[in-house]
Amino acid sequence: MRKFIYTALVAMAAFVLIQSCKKSGDGNTGDNSSGFDRKAMLTNISANIIIPAYTAFQADAVSLDAAVTAFVASPDADKLTTVQTAFKTTYQQWQATSVFEFGPAGQVSLRVNTNTYPTDVNQINANISSNTYNPTLLANLSAKGLPAMDYLLFGTGANNTAILAQYTTDSKAGNRKTYLAALAAELKSNASTVLSGWGSYQNTFVNAAGTDVGSSTGQLVNQLVYDYEILKNYEVGIPAGVQSMGNTFPTYVQAYYSKMSLQLAKLHLQAMQNIYLGKSGQTNGLGLDDYLVQTTKLPNTAKYANGSSVNDAITTQFATATSKLQTLTDPLADNISSNPGAVTAAYAELQKLTVLLKTDMTSSLSILITYGDNDGD
Amino acid sequence: MPLRILLPLKLNTHNTTMKRSITALSIVSFALLIMTGCKKDDNKVTTPTYDIPTTYNFANANYADATTRLGMYTEISNLMKNALTGTFDAVTAKAMLNNTGAPFANAAYNTSGLQLRDQFAPAFKQDALDFIDSLAKASAAYPTVASKGVAGVGASSANVASKYALTGAGFNYAQVFNKGLMGGLVTYQIVTTMDAVANQTIDNITIVNGETAMEHAWDMAFGYWGVPTDFPANKTNPKPVLWGSYTTQVDSGYKANKILMDAFLKGRAAISAKDKSTFVEQAKIIIAAFEKLHGAGALQEVKEAKESISDKILLNSRLSEMYGFVYSIKYNPKRVTTDAQYNTLLSGFPANFYDMTSTQLDALRDAIAAQYGFESVKDVL
Repeated sequence: MRKFIYTALVAMAAFVLIQSCKKSGDGNTGDNSSGFDRKAMLTNISANIIIPAYTAFQADAVSLDAAVTAFVASPDADKLTTVQTAFKTTYQQWQATSVFEFGPAGQVSLRVNTNTYPTDVNQINANISSNTYNPTLLANLSAKGLPAMDYLLFGTGANNTAILAQYTTDSKAGNRKTYLAALAAELKSNASTVLSGWGSYQNTFVNAAGTDVGSSTGQLVNQLVYDYEILKNYEVGIPAGVQSMGNTFPTYVQAYYSKMSLQLAKLHLQAMQNIYLGKSGQTNGLGLDDYLVQTTKLPNTAKYANGSSVNDAITTQFATATSKLQTLTDPLADNISSNPGAVTAAYAELQKLTVLLKTDMTSSLSILITYGDNDGD
Repeated sequence: MPLRILLPLKLNTHNTTMKRSITALSIVSFALLIMTGCKKDDNKVTTPTYDIPTTYNFANANYADATTRLGMYTEISNLMKNALTGTFDAVTAKAMLNNTGAPFANAAYNTSGLQLRDQFAPAFKQDALDFIDSLAKASAAYPTVASKGVAGVGASSANVASKYALTGAGFNYAQVFNKGLMGGLVTYQIVTTMDAVANQTIDNITIVNGETAMEHAWDMAFGYWGVPTDFPANKTNPKPVLWGSYTTQVDSGYKANKILMDAFLKGRAAISAKDKSTFVEQAKIIIAAFEKLHGAGALQEVKEAKESISDKILLNSRLSEMYGFVYSIKYNPKRVTTDAQYNTLLSGFPANFYDMTSTQLDALRDAIAAQYGFESVKDVL
């Protein structure tokens, strides 16, 4: 008996010592009390949504770079059209690719390097004039990527004849070609780096199946909500003047010069809905919706307004927001100028979905939003 | 509920029937000793017993002069907001520093007989004027739009209503002044007082206006922190100012709110109870905390800079805040950071903020985190 007490006390002392210098951690298991198989969800989303998205985006970026290379070698009207088409395809695919800013994409800051807008025309022209371009300068984030190419390919003249002249007879034509080629090469390089990074990262992603801050579900949900707020604010809200007491900024929309802003916004929203549903093509696999349904089956989980579940509310709001966007037309910038009320009405529905995703979904799944809102201080 | 300092319990070691258990108990005690090994154990049997309140409600506490000076700062800060429309009045801002010519809207400040500038660290007395002049120059360029090499006023691309007056090198001197004042007034005053307390060079016997000189100096230091008496339970009323706001902003990675409030309360109670070892210990805690806070504040701005990384104008303003926190380390008279370490940190900033790269920003973050012991929370702060 004494020996037992002795042993127990020594063990206790050792335990106290160990605990005092150990950080509390969370085992990264795929199971929690909800009984939902998060690992299977992560497997579905990575294999059927994320990797296909990067594969397609990288292929598009390679095609775009090849088209640009051919165009700058001997610019003509046909090659300009080819580049413009390749550009549009790449920008469309980006809408289904932008969400996943963790792991390999996080390491190269793919999102801001690919799609910072409104693009800074002064900075672009300064870089062209001086024939210097340093891709590592943060100040060049707004002078590179798809938005800068949007300007270079669609905004440097009133029509394709005038645009082509910027690459043939203009005094800065040589520098402009160099700049366009540098941007296309950088885009291709980043896309290739991230795609190849997923070769080994997929395993990491699937196995970090907890719900703590660094877990894959935590990162995926954080980035889904973050990217959704980019859609709501940058693609619609800010240009429509919701942050500036109704003063509109139509030129701030995504893809202002190629005039496909609304089309891209709809693709973006559709892509987010697919991630939420775990849907690829016609196959609806395990997604956040299934996870929510499973979690909210537990007793004492809150029902959303009028008794529907959180999942029902989110599903309904995706449909409502989509239908509101469908009442608008491209060019969205013209819509904002001529009928800002319709655009802010769409924004209002997008905002409702933000609350559902950012507050209701995250609290039901016990996931912490870890990115900060700029407080303007 | 007031805490009470207790005398250590004495273990009864006369019971020989459980000798082995006693041995085991001493192992446990040993473990506990190791755990508390960082705590100084100066308590003699003569240690006075006294209450430590949970709010700064000492009956004779008086720090109205510090509160007045923080109010004067707020008026300067409001004046600087005019820089965004090109009408920043540098002459009035300087008059506010010296309290000459009744510059304040709050008439009580004008007749208070107090001024900000005579409380500044020696080096900040000139720097403050230079920062004001630099802001005035950027402001005067309005409506020119700020860009690299061109002073002017620029807007955030994410929130077009947010505007910033930047020099051609991208510096927002309203922020450099603000963080400069946090170092050159608040840190300087608090650290100077705490050093005098730690060395017991302030009188703690003679009562003047209801307080000893040491009690009053300690109160003034608390007042400069800029928090409510029942902080951190109350973080809103009155609104925390300068470091009072930032100790909360960095709280996710550095628990400065609790460290400082506990130390200010315990130290003040110890001063009144003439408990020297305790007030010296608390003064040293506060000195150490105010050096770490500059590092924590800079890291908090790194995080905000990263959140606005593609927003060129806003990014430069964040970098200016970060630069201000690092730059103002030099005003701390008891800093442990050496001149060489300080210069190394500053040299991590590009001469022109428009030339900042991700690599440089990460390197600055890592250097600051290493210098101030925040490696594990460098992205959380």
